[in-house]
Amino acid sequence: MTYQNAEKAYVHWMYQAAGMGGRKVLEALEKTGTPEEIYKLAVKGKLRERLAGKYGRKAERMEVEACSCGVHDIQEAYRQMTDRGISFVTLREQEYPKRLAAVPDAPYGLYYVGRLPEEGKKSIAVIGARNCSEYGRVMAGQFARTLAAAGVQVVSGMARGIDGIGQQAALDAGGYSLGVLGCGVDVCYPPENERLYGQLIEKGGICSEYPPGIAPRAMLFPPRNRIISGMCDGVLVVEAKERSGTLITVDMALEQGREVYALPGRVTDPLSRGCNELIRQGAELVESPQKFLQSLDTGFDGQMSYSQMELPILDSVQGKLLQLLDFQPLSMEALRQAYRDTYGTYMTVPELCHGLLQLCAMDYAGQVGGNYYFRKGK
Amino acid sequence: MNCINFVVPMNPCPCGYYPDLSRCRCTPHEVRRYLRRVSGPVLDRIDICVEAHPVGFKDIVQRPAGESSRQVRARVMEARRIQEERYTGTGIRFNADLRAADMERFCNLGTEQKRFMERMFASMKLTARGYHRILKVARTVADLAGGGKIEEEHLAEAICYRQMEVFQ
Repeated sequence: MTYQNAEKAYVHWMYQAAGMGGRKVLEALEKTGTPEEIYKLAVKGKLRERLAGKYGRKAERMEVEACSCGVHDIQEAYRQMTDRGISFVTLREQEYPKRLAAVPDAPYGLYYVGRLPEEGKKSIAVIGARNCSEYGRVMAGQFARTLAAAGVQVVSGMARGIDGIGQQAALDAGGYSLGVLGCGVDVCYPPENERLYGQLIEKGGICSEYPPGIAPRAMLFPPRNRIISGMCDGVLVVEAKERSGTLITVDMALEQGREVYALPGRVTDPLSRGCNELIRQGAELVESPQKFLQSLDTGFDGQMSYSQMELPILDSVQGKLLQLLDFQPLSMEALRQAYRDTYGTYMTVPELCHGLLQLCAMDYAGQVGGNYYFRKGK
Repeated sequence: MNCINFVVPMNPCPCGYYPDLSRCRCTPHEVRRYLRRVSGPVLDRIDICVEAHPVGFKDIVQRPAGESSRQVRARVMEARRIQEERYTGTGIRFNADLRAADMERFCNLGTEQKRFMERMFASMKLTARGYHRILKVARTVADLAGGGKIEEEHLAEAICYRQMEVFQ
């Protein structure tokens, strides 16, 4: 089905006026008449008569909305929204993502900026803890980068931690990524992901079932997780605590019949407990991005489209230092001790500083909290 | 002229264990907020930030390896002497007294070292003050090592002492 522009404005009005979670009432309304007819019924106060009893309150609400909103206002509001680059698509239309449409509680309408995922390509949700460890950070980056480079679309919630890191890595690898928000698509939440938000609009997409301008609220986030999993063929959990929002998405994915993949972690690490538990329950264990990609059946032949190892060659001191670095940040003093314990000689402080700075400059290592250094995922 | 020694202790986060993530109970946001209490301009004026590590049992019962305080003192005295000699007749007492105009003369860098600092200047987003302070600390590191010219490693050590700023 396709709507004329003027008609679409009424559909949009109807969606907003029905309020959140209005899919059932909207489907009942569809049987009542065209969107324009419904608006006119609402203005006359006759919508309640047409809708069966349990939608009475929704109908009343729509009548109130209709009275405060003229025909011109409806057209103008829709035009202003599309002028800002925000598109609106409903379940009845061709452009609505097919994978999501097949989900029983898919939202009736979807707002988006940028592009929606392509139908013919695999989509994988890369999700996990907001407060992730260095291990999770590195792994989210590696997996998302590899997936994106092979043409897999990476979907996530643009949250702090794993979500945002995975999406950034996907874009950096030249791939496509979709951010599903728990607020309006014109609201960047969390605010520190503003750079990612801008890049997603440019090279990927942002979508939400909530109308533009809606501020993020805690209650809006769990429902959006069904959209994340619904948009995808499978869900990859990088790090998750035993009880976490990530596991809500996994539950949704299972209900929707999606594959669930989990990255194992150390048994002592609370951030991996959720993943390990998922594996115990039957989620597929993933270890290497390449193998994961092959198992996805994307026609991936093991050849990366980006050059994986175009790295500067390390001299021996740098190489030795790199072996000592861990994903957990280590202090310079600890590294000096480890160097002596492993290689039998002390490095002078200047030598150590110099080696570490060079590793950081080449992006093999990173630095946090004063002089603590960790290994990056190269 | 610089005539105070400003020494101040600080915790890395509210609970005190950051960045030891196995013990730190703070959220990244809490850590950031805690550290932000020291403003950038104040940090820019601090030359050396070092972390004091927890002392283990071995450290208490064993004689520490490395230099004794007496040896370090001798090195410091020697560095002082080198500076006195270098600055005779200039009105300058220590490296800390050097002004921007004195840099070229006393903290001159070779081509290699300049290139290294150019990279670091960009990646650390240094200020002009920060840059000069690194040069002065590197001069002191070189003096402690015998007073020769400033090498890349001396600069690296001086830079590492400013790493607090990076994650502000």
